[in-house]
Amino acid sequence: MSGAFSFSEQRPALRNVTGIDWALVAAALMLALVGLATVNSASAELAGNQLARQGLWVGIGCCAMLAAALFNYRTLIEFAFPIYLFGLSLLITVLLVGRVAGGARSWLGYAGIGLQPAEVAKLTTALWLASYLASIDRRTLGLREIVLSGLIVAVPIALIALQPDLGSAAMFVPLLAGMLLVGGIDRKVLVGGLVAALVLGAALWFFGLHDYQRQRITSFLNPNADPLGAGYQVQQSKIAVGSGELTGKGYMQGTQSQLRFLPARHTDFVFAVLAEEWGFLGTLAVLGLYAMWIVNAFRIALRAREKEAVLLIVGLVSLFSFHVVYNTAMVVGFVPITGIPLPFLSYGGSFTLLNFAITGLILGIDAKRYVNA
Amino acid sequence: MEIQRQFRNDLNLRVRVLSVIVSLLLGMVAGGFWWVQLVQGGHYRELAENNRLRRLTIRAPRGTIHDRQGQLLVENTPSYQLLVDRSRAEDVDASLDFAAELLDRPRAELEENLQRGRRQPDYQPVPVARNLTLAEVAQLSAKSLEHPEFEIDVGHLRLYRHGPQTAHVLGYLGEVSEAELARNGAAPHFQPGDLVGKKGIERHFDSVLRGDDGERMVIVDSRGRLMQENARDDAESGVDLVLTLDLGLQQEAERLMRDKVGSIVALDPRTGDVLAMVSSPSFDPNLFASGIQAADWQELIGNDNDPLQNRAIQNFHSPGSVFKMVMATAGLSEGVIAPQDRVYCNGSVTLHNHKFRCGRLSGHGSVNLEQAMAKSCNVYFYQLGNKLGIDRIERWAKAFGFGEATGIELDNEKAGLVPGKAWALNQRGQAWYPGETISVSIGQGALGVTPLQMARATAAVANGGRLVTPHLLRSGSTLPEPRLPASADTLTLVRQAMAGVVEPGGTAHLTAGIEGLRWGGKTGTVQVAAGQIGVPHEDRPFRLRNHAWFAGFAPLEDPEIVVVVFNEHGGAGSTGAAPIASDLMRFWFGRDGARPALVAER
Repeated sequence: MSGAFSFSEQRPALRNVTGIDWALVAAALMLALVGLATVNSASAELAGNQLARQGLWVGIGCCAMLAAALFNYRTLIEFAFPIYLFGLSLLITVLLVGRVAGGARSWLGYAGIGLQPAEVAKLTTALWLASYLASIDRRTLGLREIVLSGLIVAVPIALIALQPDLGSAAMFVPLLAGMLLVGGIDRKVLVGGLVAALVLGAALWFFGLHDYQRQRITSFLNPNADPLGAGYQVQQSKIAVGSGELTGKGYMQGTQSQLRFLPARHTDFVFAVLAEEWGFLGTLAVLGLYAMWIVNAFRIALRAREKEAVLLIVGLVSLFSFHVVYNTAMVVGFVPITGIPLPFLSYGGSFTLLNFAITGLILGIDAKRYVNA
Repeated sequence: MEIQRQFRNDLNLRVRVLSVIVSLLLGMVAGGFWWVQLVQGGHYRELAENNRLRRLTIRAPRGTIHDRQGQLLVENTPSYQLLVDRSRAEDVDASLDFAAELLDRPRAELEENLQRGRRQPDYQPVPVARNLTLAEVAQLSAKSLEHPEFEIDVGHLRLYRHGPQTAHVLGYLGEVSEAELARNGAAPHFQPGDLVGKKGIERHFDSVLRGDDGERMVIVDSRGRLMQENARDDAESGVDLVLTLDLGLQQEAERLMRDKVGSIVALDPRTGDVLAMVSSPSFDPNLFASGIQAADWQELIGNDNDPLQNRAIQNFHSPGSVFKMVMATAGLSEGVIAPQDRVYCNGSVTLHNHKFRCGRLSGHGSVNLEQAMAKSCNVYFYQLGNKLGIDRIERWAKAFGFGEATGIELDNEKAGLVPGKAWALNQRGQAWYPGETISVSIGQGALGVTPLQMARATAAVANGGRLVTPHLLRSGSTLPEPRLPASADTLTLVRQAMAGVVEPGGTAHLTAGIEGLRWGGKTGTVQVAAGQIGVPHEDRPFRLRNHAWFAGFAPLEDPEIVVVVFNEHGGAGSTGAAPIASDLMRFWFGRDGARPALVAER
């Protein structure tokens, strides 16, 4: 039977699965479970069935992870440019016919199923950038390569900023920074650039701008809320987090969350619910799971055979890490509020799917390290 | 691409550098949580326990409304309301029981009010009872320890100083409806319990009058007492409005229409200022100010004459013979008649195989335009209409502003109806027949006009041909003022002819002539029931009596006021409407010191 033949053709892929990095899988699955539990608690007072929907997305995400792991990533690298163009076309489509949510035209949807093209574009952009940077056969990058890399990232940034979704657009910056760093940017250029940006930015922020201009930038980053509203959200989030103290108030017992003081508590501020109900110990445990995911992903990068693979992993991990760091810092009140969700924990289909796909892609790269493709 | 050996170490070093940076950032975040949760945890626990932060609305005082002399028509008076904070209630049902008993109000009413706030967060207090007495406030305050869920708020109550006399123009406020809350757009942020304009000026200028509510972010303790103010965004008061109404004239007009059904409109023909607008029967808007009682509401909507309707703009009827002023202007301008052309009236005329009757069965004899107008001879105008044809009549009626809303600052204004051939085919589905033209010539048939439209058309005759936009705001209207396609001489002739109506020999001389004042007008009578022709007015059931119209302007030279009276089932125009208009003119020109010339002559 032909089925037997096609099965035997799949054998190399199956063999690859046995070489899987189980720690990375475990980190992803545990985070997703923590996410489901927290979304359940956070949405207890909300209309609709967030738990079931998120559960469905986690299920689909697991399938996507498996599919991505079995997929030969070389095919993706080979077609990186058309795939990048496809990502851009999605971004243009959403500008033309997308649905508006939270003030931004960011959703493509049909019959109740929605997709945020910005999430897809993160992946497609990382892919082409990896393929481009890997093609440069030198130890350090020249100015031309840096500018070109910047342009590759600038196009999707501009399209997403038009929606306008500044938070998502900003996420491309760490992606670029991480990949340039590993891709071979000159140390002097890197350090010089960072210091110059910091000094200039700080000087501008503190001396160059009037109060109203600063406020304008803050509200530009967060167009939905008046200053009073944004202040309220931060304050409520800090109260939720702080009042969790060492051991937390107990699952489903967070007064801030359950009494509806905390806005966006099942999406961008889901971590505040977790921190309130599980305390500092819970916070540390979950941050530990994120560290476990990140460390294992970096280890895979260290042992990957191809430069494209290393760069792709670095881009994806930078993106993932920045989401984690920015969202948690926002919840604890260190950085201004923008709509940046927390991987695996925040309620939301596209983003959950993206994180599982990223995990699967990294697993797939790892599985191919012994094979002569 | 396979990594060349000499690059491998460098690449891995760079990956390690990046992982160190990420670890440091994660470590900093962990440190942040350590700071907030462990070092400052106690502080935040206290805040969380005391349920501290709260956003309170600072109500913007609503703008007041004045008449043209600056006399106050609407003001705000303080009033107390009771709110319930559901997040602090042990048992909301028990709280409502308690409040209903203490206030001696139906529990269902409080419950209904509370339901309006169900979409709000629990900690957002919901108003459940308005208009508390000071004694009730004191009793509730005494119970604040046992019932921390209750809060008292000082609000403002709208006080309409002249109640029913200005009801239809000013309108009233009501609690924002669920529908209005649901389509609450980006701009105005209504909350349950907010009062919004529901009718009249209050509705039309709601966004201007209401101002911008402010907001305070405050920290309160567990009993709801204010501990500290965190941020404040002050309220901006609503704008005070000055209207074109003349309170004295408005009150007099209301007095003249009391116990009658209908409306009066008085305009300044030079500007379009609405000096008075009365619709009868009326209602007391103060009933709505504190939430209308069910019994009062039933009485209002149960009244067959619909007191809530503004008859000056929401009701259209045939204009009857008042329309002859439009016909005369059209005939002269189109060159179909000359002022001295005579028509012989023997009491009827047969046109298009149908016998059309004059009001006077024995006929008026030979009449020119001036006589035909003064005596309201139908035969003269039948012949004129027959010569003009419906197309030109339709065009002229529209030029006088009929068939479209005037654009006054009130909602739900009706456009009325100017019939014509296109209308007959498209709207009615039956071709125009020539006999209809003859009916329309004397303002009968399908033609329908509102009293305000009639006032505007009369103003155009009075001011020499400008179609002004009637408006209530003293600052005037910015809408264009189209010109009638009629010469000044033509309109002078029409005014002269209308003066004949109130002069000896005219239909309204005996009922409406004013000694010492030269003025003009036109009567109109609308047949209500064909079967009642010949039955005296007094012997008919009220609903079968004719409608009476009168449209007048004064003085004859440079008119400064237009008055239109529409008296439903008031009988003939000359007896049911003209005397009312005449009385109002007398009031306007006879006020002490107001018009010295007339006072001296009297």
